[in-house]
Amino acid sequence: MIKKKKLPTADIPTSSMADIAFLLLIFFLVATVIDVDSGIGMTLPEFVEDVETVEVPKDRMAAVLINENGDVLLDGQPISLFQITATLKPRIQSKIDLPSNKKLIVSLKTDRKTVYNAYIQALDQVKEAFFEVRDEYANSKYGKKFDDLDEQEQSDVKAAVPIIISIAEPEKIK
Amino acid sequence: MKFEKKRASTKQEIPTASMPDIIFMLLLFFMVTTTLRETEVLVDYTLPEAKAIEKIENKRLISYIWVGKDERIQINDSIVKMNEIQNIMYAKRQALPNVIVSLRVDKNTDMGYVTDIQQELRKAYCLRINYSANIKI
Repeated sequence: MIKKKKLPTADIPTSSMADIAFLLLIFFLVATVIDVDSGIGMTLPEFVEDVETVEVPKDRMAAVLINENGDVLLDGQPISLFQITATLKPRIQSKIDLPSNKKLIVSLKTDRKTVYNAYIQALDQVKEAFFEVRDEYANSKYGKKFDDLDEQEQSDVKAAVPIIISIAEPEKIK
Repeated sequence: MKFEKKRASTKQEIPTASMPDIIFMLLLFFMVTTTLRETEVLVDYTLPEAKAIEKIENKRLISYIWVGKDERIQINDSIVKMNEIQNIMYAKRQALPNVIVSLRVDKNTDMGYVTDIQQELRKAYCLRINYSANIKI
């Protein structure tokens, strides 16, 4: 009888593979920054040398002024920063059915010495007003929130409630 | 009568053979999603907080401008002067036509200073901007 020669087994030990993989995994877990960039988006107007001024009817404009102390003036009325949303909302809503050249324009003007934070807070309030109106309009028309609508419906809502914010340049030093 | 201990006929070990595969899958996920920090921020700043903020979907389009507490401006890896912004940003726009400029400005900066930067951006035709802000809870 011929005895079969026993071949030596040629296995690579894999028991530590999981440990090695874990080590790498932990390194990448720690090194990962899930840093979603978020902020308030704006589009600047193009730069032109001599600015043409266009008369805008008074009821189409909402002028927000912020002085260096952070006091807010909306159309000549002094209000607190947190009232901006509530004050602007009915004005935006009243213009939903009007054609696109009659929608509300919010003009935001600051002083050169105004703190950036105050400006962002005010801009945030204005944007919040527009977003809330959009949400309510989307809810009444489609029964969904603005973010859940499809592209066609979103552009419909955007056409009905466009966000028009004009950033006026601060006045030169007085 | 013979007593016999009742034993479950099934094996009691958890099969660990596929564990490395699972771990590797997780590892690959994190390796793919990780974006390592490209630039070192040289200025010290605190972002303002806001509620009505949007996320920028496309991270590749973003170009940052930092403004620190001491009013120093940083673009890319270096501190720049106000009058250099226009040229740098114009070059960036040439390379990436729909660039979004993310302004990471310290919250105590004067608006006049921010407006000056915006004027430079307008001259450079970088018109899409984003005021970077943290979410207010």
